[in-house]
Amino acid sequence: MRPIEAVPALFILILAAAIYAGTTGLRLWDGPTPGARFFPMALSGAGAIIGVLLLLAQRRGLETVEVEFPDALGAVRVGASFAALVALAVGIPLIGFVPMLAVFMLAMLLVVLRCPPVPSVSSAVIVAGLVHVVFIRWLAVPLPMPFGI
Amino acid sequence: MLDQLLIGFSTALLPNNLLFIFIGVLIGQVVGALPGLGPSAGMALLLPLTFGLEPVTAIMMLAGIMYGAQYGGTLTSVLIKVPGEASGVMTAVDGNAMAREGRAGAALAISAIGSFIAGIGSVMAVAVLAPPLASFGLRFNAPEYFLLALLGILAIGSLGGSPIKSLGAALIGLMIALIGVDPLTGTPRLSFDQPILLKGIDFIPVVIGVFGVAEVLHSLERIESVKPIKTRLRDMWLTMEDWRKCRFAIIRGGFIGLFVGIMPGAGASIASLLAYLTERKFSTTPEMFGKGAIDGVASAEAANNSASHGAAIPMLSLGIPGSASTAILLAALILHGIRPGPQLMSQESVLVWGLIASMFVGNVFLLIMNLPMAPVFAALLRIPYVYLAPAILGISLVGAYAATLDMATVWMSLAFGVLGYAMIKFDVPRPPLVLALVLASLMETSLRQALLLSFGSPMIFVERPISAILLCAVVLTIVLPIMSAVRRRRRVGAKPAATGGNGAG
Repeated sequence: MRPIEAVPALFILILAAAIYAGTTGLRLWDGPTPGARFFPMALSGAGAIIGVLLLLAQRRGLETVEVEFPDALGAVRVGASFAALVALAVGIPLIGFVPMLAVFMLAMLLVVLRCPPVPSVSSAVIVAGLVHVVFIRWLAVPLPMPFGI
Repeated sequence: MLDQLLIGFSTALLPNNLLFIFIGVLIGQVVGALPGLGPSAGMALLLPLTFGLEPVTAIMMLAGIMYGAQYGGTLTSVLIKVPGEASGVMTAVDGNAMAREGRAGAALAISAIGSFIAGIGSVMAVAVLAPPLASFGLRFNAPEYFLLALLGILAIGSLGGSPIKSLGAALIGLMIALIGVDPLTGTPRLSFDQPILLKGIDFIPVVIGVFGVAEVLHSLERIESVKPIKTRLRDMWLTMEDWRKCRFAIIRGGFIGLFVGIMPGAGASIASLLAYLTERKFSTTPEMFGKGAIDGVASAEAANNSASHGAAIPMLSLGIPGSASTAILLAALILHGIRPGPQLMSQESVLVWGLIASMFVGNVFLLIMNLPMAPVFAALLRIPYVYLAPAILGISLVGAYAATLDMATVWMSLAFGVLGYAMIKFDVPRPPLVLALVLASLMETSLRQALLLSFGSPMIFVERPISAILLCAVVLTIVLPIMSAVRRRRRVGAKPAATGGNGAG
């Protein structure tokens, strides 16, 4: 068992410890009835058991965690796509949802995925138009407008 | 009763009502297909538009959105593996696996047929059995709800793959649901004084992140090897073999959906999960579950549509909403000056029977709309994935924002996208996380209410008959897989010994 394969079990154990530590100020029992900490404590205990069981099962070869990482190009593409998503979320309140979505589509298609310009621009216009028609015009969802208007 | 049903049909078949039923199911289909917007959000958004309508017309249209969204949610589940609702998670797993094999049309067709048959069956049950079924549903109280939710969580462990990892993923979902405020006392819990966390973490950003964002990011790693899915017409339609596999799956799923639907608060997600797991027990090809089992899709879809109709039973006969959607339907009744409650069926019989008849009509509309359109929707997968991927990401985030009108939901979707991506990389199943997140509130609230009722004594789970039966089911769900694993290990251990013995001889 490689150390990296222990990540899921360790994540569950850390989460269980965080739940335990994060609810210390709450009551476990409130008189005869369960308090706000009752269920988190139950889950924390169950998490600890499952985490340890998973680790033990992996050590004994009864469980396997097949870790599969992308190659360098794939990793760059995933990283760039996630950065574009973050930029989309940052830009929405400033530029508006629909224009920012069109910019996001163009950036993804032209820069990250290296698609030809004409189909990329067409796709960006179609998707932005579809969102505008369905969400803003039809369902009247108040999506953020350009420049906070 | 037949007279009343005929009066109901004469109301539902009026041209004006037919038009609004059609508009309702069409809007439901669209909002169900948009990631993030489920039936309740769609109904809430469109509630103000019904103010100028006759109450019966308004209720028929809103109900159309409610069950139309169940059909619409199937589209995104099957085509892009982003379930619009928790009840579509199982469909997303098997339906999308079928789509990747070029059988999206068959998955969509069986979903439409399964939903139609189960929907019509449960509407008939609503018509015939509303009062007695509603009183049965009311025999379920906090202990039974807790055990039902616990049974659902434990059953998640048998979804396929490793039970420990599935239960671990379910625990992560339950732990995420703790964030916010304590549901019984209102005390802030795990919110770390952050206003965003005080509201708790909704299902929408989790499902959009863990399924939508994560799936696309994973696909982008090797996008050059992702070929457009070939959708040949002969693979679109159901074969006799498909139909043979699915006919009883639909009936079983429909019954489970109706049974769960009539219990206020249980919801279509538990119904589809239980139906899916039950079907795996009955299936002749259980090894296909999780890899594109058509009977799994049929049972889950039949169950979620049946449950959404079944939830109308406590609403109509007792005035108790069985789901978020029926709560909005109830609000609409009140806004239109109608008092819901046990007297509704006698005092507003035209409205009630008109609504029941409109469900028959609406389901027919949906079948007519969906069945011939299945190949058309499936043909969307012919678009090269390189163009679909950014569109899925963008529209998913629009759906996340539209569900709450809060940018925090968009940020949460991205954060859960990272978690979902890590889960794919570390081979941890994602459906248990999402299903557990949905069941968490019911589980915690009912556990604590049950112990409140019994002054802290756990004997309440044994003393009540239905609860005792459910407790037995919970125990069996834990014990049976352990026993079979031990038996399997003994058998595996015995084989080499026997082989070794022979060899020595």
